[in-house]
Amino acid sequence: MTVINSAHAGTLESSDVYIQINPIDEDMVEIELESSVEELYGEMIEELIRDTLKNMKVSYVNVKVQDKGAMDLVIKARLQSAILRACQMSRNPDWSVL
Amino acid sequence: MKLRRSMLFVPGANTAMVCNAYVYKPDTVMFDLEDSVALSEKDSARLMVYHALKHFAYQDIETAVRVNSLDSPYGLLDLEAVVRAGTDIVRLPKTDTIDDVLDMQNAIEKIEKKIGRTKKTKLLAAIESAQGVVNAVDIARCSTRLMGIALGAEDYVRDLRTQRTKEGNELTAARAQILLAARAAKIQAFDSVFSDVRDKDGFIAEVKKIKNLGFDGKSLVNPNQIYTLHDIYAPTKEEIEWAFEVIEAADHAKKNGLGVVSIDGRMVDAPIIARAEYTIDLARTSGLIGEEDE
Amino acid sequence: MIINKFSFYKRFNCYNSRKYRSYIIESTIKFSQFESTNVRRVKRVKEFLDENQLDLSSDIELFVVAMEENKMIACGGLSGKVLKCIAVADERRGEGIILKVMTQLLNAAYNRNQQELFLFSTPKNIKFFKDCGFKLIEECDGEVILMENSKNIENYQKELTKLKKNGDVIGTIVMNANPFTLGHLYLVEEASKRSDWLHLFVVREDASAFKFADRIKLIRQGTAHIKNITIHEGSDYIISKATFPTYFIKDKGMVDELHAKLDLNVFRNQLAPYLGITHRFVGTEPYCKVTNNYNKNMKKILEDKNGKSEPIEVVEIERIEFNEQAISASRVRKLLKEKSYEELRSIVPPSTYEFLMDNTRNDDDSYK
Repeated sequence: MTVINSAHAGTLESSDVYIQINPIDEDMVEIELESSVEELYGEMIEELIRDTLKNMKVSYVNVKVQDKGAMDLVIKARLQSAILRACQMSRNPDWSVL
Repeated sequence: MKLRRSMLFVPGANTAMVCNAYVYKPDTVMFDLEDSVALSEKDSARLMVYHALKHFAYQDIETAVRVNSLDSPYGLLDLEAVVRAGTDIVRLPKTDTIDDVLDMQNAIEKIEKKIGRTKKTKLLAAIESAQGVVNAVDIARCSTRLMGIALGAEDYVRDLRTQRTKEGNELTAARAQILLAARAAKIQAFDSVFSDVRDKDGFIAEVKKIKNLGFDGKSLVNPNQIYTLHDIYAPTKEEIEWAFEVIEAADHAKKNGLGVVSIDGRMVDAPIIARAEYTIDLARTSGLIGEEDE
Repeated sequence: MIINKFSFYKRFNCYNSRKYRSYIIESTIKFSQFESTNVRRVKRVKEFLDENQLDLSSDIELFVVAMEENKMIACGGLSGKVLKCIAVADERRGEGIILKVMTQLLNAAYNRNQQELFLFSTPKNIKFFKDCGFKLIEECDGEVILMENSKNIENYQKELTKLKKNGDVIGTIVMNANPFTLGHLYLVEEASKRSDWLHLFVVREDASAFKFADRIKLIRQGTAHIKNITIHEGSDYIISKATFPTYFIKDKGMVDELHAKLDLNVFRNQLAPYLGITHRFVGTEPYCKVTNNYNKNMKKILEDKNGKSEPIEVVEIERIEFNEQAISASRVRKLLKEKSYEELRSIVPPSTYEFLMDNTRNDDDSYK
C-alpha cells in the first residue's frame, strides 16, 4: 500500500492513542513514540507498530504516536485507520492484512 | 434460550468503553457503529470494533454490533468488518419492513460465503418507527436468523410526533405490539434504553414494568444499570422452588415412562417445563443457586 | 490462556470510576466547533475566559467548546499554528474534557495542514500538555508558557550551531525592514563595525506590506558590501505569529508585554547561546509603539545578570536623519503612497529604490 497523504486517527483521551502518519522519501518506517508507559512497554508498542505495518506492506512513512495507555487492539485499530486514511483506502480495505 | 437480560451499548469510537465493556459482564455487549459515532470517525470506530471482536477478551461473552443502515455509505463496510470478525449478532437499525431484514440477511450471507464462515450470524431488528411497529409481526417471522426484535424509543417517539415522558405512556402501543409479535414468532423481545443515568429510581421502575410486560431484556447505556437490572430480573425464592418442583416432576415422569407430567394432580405441559428451566438458568446466573442445589 | 501484557496491565485500571463517568460524558456534554465569524458564540467564549481569568486572543480563527445544559464548561482556540485560550471550568477538571477539546483542535489543525504546532498556556498545565505531545520551549514570569509538539527547536539550534563564528563580539540584529532603508543600512553598518561577526535575522511572517521574499532580497542587496555578516531567514522562534502574535495584530495600540518578554526569553535562552551572541543592536524607535515597548523590555531581559544564560548587551544606535526626520520604513511607505519619489530616493539604498520603482510601475496600488 502506498501512503499518499498525511493522515491522523485516534484521540488524546485516556486508553487511546493519537497517531499521525506522514509520507517520507526513504524506504523505511520511522517511529516517534511518546507514551505514559514508555519505560515498560515502549519496545512492545514499537514492535506492534512495525509488525502491523509490515503486514500491510507499508513503508516510506513516518509514524508519530501519542500513547495514553492504550491496549494493543486500540493501537492496531487506530494505526490501521490512519494508514488507510493516508492511502485513501478506507472505502475498500484489504481485510486479509488487517 | 440464551439469557439476554442486559445488552450494554458501547459507542464504537470510545476506546475506554470498547476495551472495558466485557469486564462488567452484561449478557450481551452491543458495539455501536451507528448513532453514537460521528461521521468522520465511522472508519476508525469500525476498525476498533473489528479488533475488539477478535480479541480474546470478547470470545467468552456474546457480542452484537449495531451497524449503519445499508442505505448509508457505511453499512456494507460495517458488515464486512463485523461478520469477518465473528460477531454473534448484527443489530439492524430502523427496521421498517421485511425487506430491510431480508436485504441485511442477503448481504451477510454473501460475506459469510466469501469468507467461508459456517456459523450463521444472527440478526436483531430494531424497530424505531410507527411503520416498523405496524409491521412487527411480519418482521418477526420473516427470517430464521432473527433472534429478537427491539424497540428504539427515541426515534419511534419522534416518528409519533410526541415526546418521551417519565410515565412512558407514549410507548405503550409499541411495547405491546413488539412483545406480541416476538412471542408469536417465538423470538425474544427487548426494550429501549433508559438514558437518564442519574435517575436510579426511574430506571428501576421502568425495568420492573417491562419485566412484568414480559420483555426478555433491555438495552443499557451504563454499567451501573447492569447490576440493578439483573437484580430485578432475578427470580424470587418462590419462583425458584416452583421451578425445581416442575423439573423434578418432569424427571420423574421421564424415568418412569409416564406420558404426562403432573404436580398435585394438575397437568404440567411443555411450556411450563421450558419456563422452569429458564428460571433455573436465571437463578444460577444470578448466583442464587449453586451446583449443590440441583 | 496467555494473558497479553497490555490487557493484564489495563485490567487494573478498569475498575476505576473514571470509566463510569466517561459514559456520562457521552450523553450530556456536547462538543462543537465554530469559526471566529460567529460573533454571538465568540462572545460566550470571552465571558467564559473572563470567568477563568484569561484573555481572549483576537487572532483566533477556530474555536472548540464543550457545553453542558447550555453552559460552557471548556474551550480552546486555534490561530494558524498556535493553540491557545484553552480552559476548563475548575469544578470539571480531571474528567478528560480538555483532552477531547485538544483532540478536536489537533484534528482541525492537521486538516488545515498545520502539523507543527505551538501552544500557549499557564505554567500549571505543563505536565498536562506534555501528555498531549507538547514540549516546553520557554516559561515567562511564572505566567505564560510556550510549548511545541515537534522537535523543531532542537533542529533549529543544531542548524544555528553550524553557523557559529568565533570572536569576542558576536552581534545580532532582528529586522523586519519593510522595506530596507538607509536607516536600516546605517544600523547594520554600525553594528558590523563594532562586531567580530554580525548575525542578521529577518522577520519571516508575511504580515507586512512587503513580502518576506522581497524584504530579504533587498537586505541582501543592500548589505552585499559587508563582509562579516550572516543573513538568517527568520523562523517561528523570532518575532513570529507563534511566539509574538500581538506584534502582528492590526490594532498596534495593543501591546502584550508578556508576549514581548516571552519572545526575548526565547531569543536569549534558546537561540543566542548556539551562536555565541554577546551583543544585540537596535535602532532607537521614535514611531512604532509596539517596537518601542519591545526595545524597553529587551534591555531588561537580555542584560539581566541572573538569567538562565549568558547576558547579552543591548546597544541602541541613533537613527540617522534626513531633513530632521528619522529615516524609517513607515516614512518610505508614506512617501511611496504620496509618490514623492525624489525624497524617497534620498532615504533608501539604490537597490531598494530600483525595486520600488519597478514595482510601482507594474502595480500602482500594491504597496498602499
